[in-house]
Amino acid sequence: MAKIQLKGASKVYEKDGTPVVDDIHLEIEDGEFVVLLGPSGCGKTTTLRMIAGLEKLTSGELLFDGRLMNDVPGDQRNVGMVFQNYALYPHMTVFDNLSFGMRSRGIGRVEARRRVDEVAGILDLDDLLGRRPRQLSGGQRQRVALGRALVRDPVVFLMDEPLSNLDSNLREQTRLELARLHARLGITTIYVTHDQNEALTLADRVVVMEGGHVRQVDEPSVVYSAPSDTFVARFIGSPGMNLWPLSGPDAGDSVERGDGIQLPQGFLEAIDEFPPGGMMLGVRPEDLTTEVEQGCAQFVCQVELQEHLGSHVHLHAKLGSSGGGERLVSRLTPDSRHKAGAQLVLGALPESLHLFDLGTGRRISTSTPVPRTGSSTGLSDPGRLTFPNPAINFAADGIVVG
Amino acid sequence: MSVTLSQVSDSELLTAIPAPAGKRRANPGFRRLSSLKNRLVAYGLMFPAIAVFVAFFYIPAGFLIYIAFFHWSILSSATKYVGLGNFRILIHQPLFWHSLLTSAYYTVVMIPATTLLALGIALLLREGVGIRKGGVWRAAVFLPHVTPIVATSIIWVWIFNPHFGLANYLLTSVRLPALGWLESVHWALPAVMIDSLWHSLGLYVIIFLAGLSRVPRELIEVAGLEGAKRPRIFRRIIWPLISPTTFFVVVLSTVSTWQAFSQIYTMTGGPHGGAGGPAFATTTDAVLVYQTAFIYEHFSLAAAMSLVLFGIILLLTLIQKWISDRIVFYR
Repeated sequence: MAKIQLKGASKVYEKDGTPVVDDIHLEIEDGEFVVLLGPSGCGKTTTLRMIAGLEKLTSGELLFDGRLMNDVPGDQRNVGMVFQNYALYPHMTVFDNLSFGMRSRGIGRVEARRRVDEVAGILDLDDLLGRRPRQLSGGQRQRVALGRALVRDPVVFLMDEPLSNLDSNLREQTRLELARLHARLGITTIYVTHDQNEALTLADRVVVMEGGHVRQVDEPSVVYSAPSDTFVARFIGSPGMNLWPLSGPDAGDSVERGDGIQLPQGFLEAIDEFPPGGMMLGVRPEDLTTEVEQGCAQFVCQVELQEHLGSHVHLHAKLGSSGGGERLVSRLTPDSRHKAGAQLVLGALPESLHLFDLGTGRRISTSTPVPRTGSSTGLSDPGRLTFPNPAINFAADGIVVG
Repeated sequence: MSVTLSQVSDSELLTAIPAPAGKRRANPGFRRLSSLKNRLVAYGLMFPAIAVFVAFFYIPAGFLIYIAFFHWSILSSATKYVGLGNFRILIHQPLFWHSLLTSAYYTVVMIPATTLLALGIALLLREGVGIRKGGVWRAAVFLPHVTPIVATSIIWVWIFNPHFGLANYLLTSVRLPALGWLESVHWALPAVMIDSLWHSLGLYVIIFLAGLSRVPRELIEVAGLEGAKRPRIFRRIIWPLISPTTFFVVVLSTVSTWQAFSQIYTMTGGPHGGAGGPAFATTTDAVLVYQTAFIYEHFSLAAAMSLVLFGIILLLTLIQKWISDRIVFYR
């Protein structure tokens, strides 16, 4: 196991000179499960490949336990990598797939057999050792790929979207198995995905990336409740956060607004410094409710349509009494019934409001909102999300309980 | 009167089920007509290709089998059934056995040389070891194959000219003795091989490149991460995964080497006859078939030789197939 550090790591391909990964600083503690999360092309896989030794850093430093690894070949870094398509050797049996690496490094037949048997026991592969990959199901192949990474007793596990080839049921099941495996073995794990459910459920810390840059590194609950910028706010959550500009000369001193938004009295006074370019207001769809309490922010809107998703309803609306303003999405309880064209007032508690700098997109620090605690909310459809830390839970309707 | 389901026959039950809207129009008569029309169009489109194939392949091939068992002359309409007589004559012809041995020698050298060189060049082009602009190199390697072999063979005749050819110039410039090449009994066939190799290599390189492109890069990456060095990755990962391509190349080159004719004809004799020299050093089976038929006008004997050649190629292909079923890995 190892502590991994990236200091100003960048990767530029010669073709067009555009940095794929740009000046990344990251510290991954020994035994930590870190997920690199972001959309396609954000540089997460390139970062993983740089750690594996499959790509050279253009600049910056990569350290394993303080030792500079930039020029150490991949096979000497002792990493176990799991690829998206598993990359199993199709012409070899499961046993040969698992033992190939050890045999390549000169480990004897007897010792290789012992290690394979041990790993096969952990991953329940004992009965599959004589089969070839094409004779295995998706989940079994995935376990073999994990086993191959595990069998060399790596200092770090690198996983590149390992669940994306599985169907949704198997994905959830395997996700749980991965979490159990990590809890049992405690190997430092770096996991790449574009699926926020995987990221938020598995990670000790999530690294949100976009355009080759790291946007935020935090615990899943913090990434969700206090996104560092508008990109993270939109990217995390399903649907992402509602964001509306609060620009204009009266942005700082008026709570009565003509665009259908009414902020709580004194809400903007908590802001330390007003950005010159204006602000954006953010509210998560699950924090909007039809039960408007005293002191809530209010959103007057006109209903466009409702999507019934079983456990909840997505209400799509436009701000303003005439429905001519910005778009709004709200996540309501399944019994909600609102006709298209109906006028509606939604409320959100002050602590669930987020403010961002309109120019830079960065979060504006205030005394509110604050990360909340309470019972649980679901980000995923239709399943509910439970954070690894049981102390951090949210109410399904976005209103703080207790 | 109530009717239970068991009282209704299967056919009644089926007619009671309404047919899907699209199917209702397709009554049996319409279906037959439509399928007849489709078939006519299909055969009409295939006709030109089939006609050419029948006229220039099946009829001559059938006629060849026929005359192999007869005494037949192009100048006389009298044909006489001789059974295996032509084959008996061949068995007692030392030149026929010599031609088979020459063909075998040519094949035994050419197949491994072609396969290994083509694979080596394909690996170099794929890995791009010190090579930029891979597309230009691929085109350069493939170019000889699209040039007519007669034209390239004439160039090689000049290169192998013992007195002022490039080959001997290069040999003597590194203090090696000049060779007789096409005038030497020992070097004439190797000279033809070099020409054939140069001409055919491009095709096999492209086939190998296609095969290599089907080996997922992740397999090579993961093997590298696991500590396997390049030779082991090639031996244990790449080689087994490209075995169908290798098998295809071996079959293709076996067939083409046993049939090699144009380059030998051009380099060793040309239109004035005498191809296959010097002293029959380059007389392969295909050359002997040509000479027997069109120089000596023993068409029946040449047909029998062709059948033997066909039998050898068929046997070799079956052996290769038998081996491939055991060692080639198909995904």
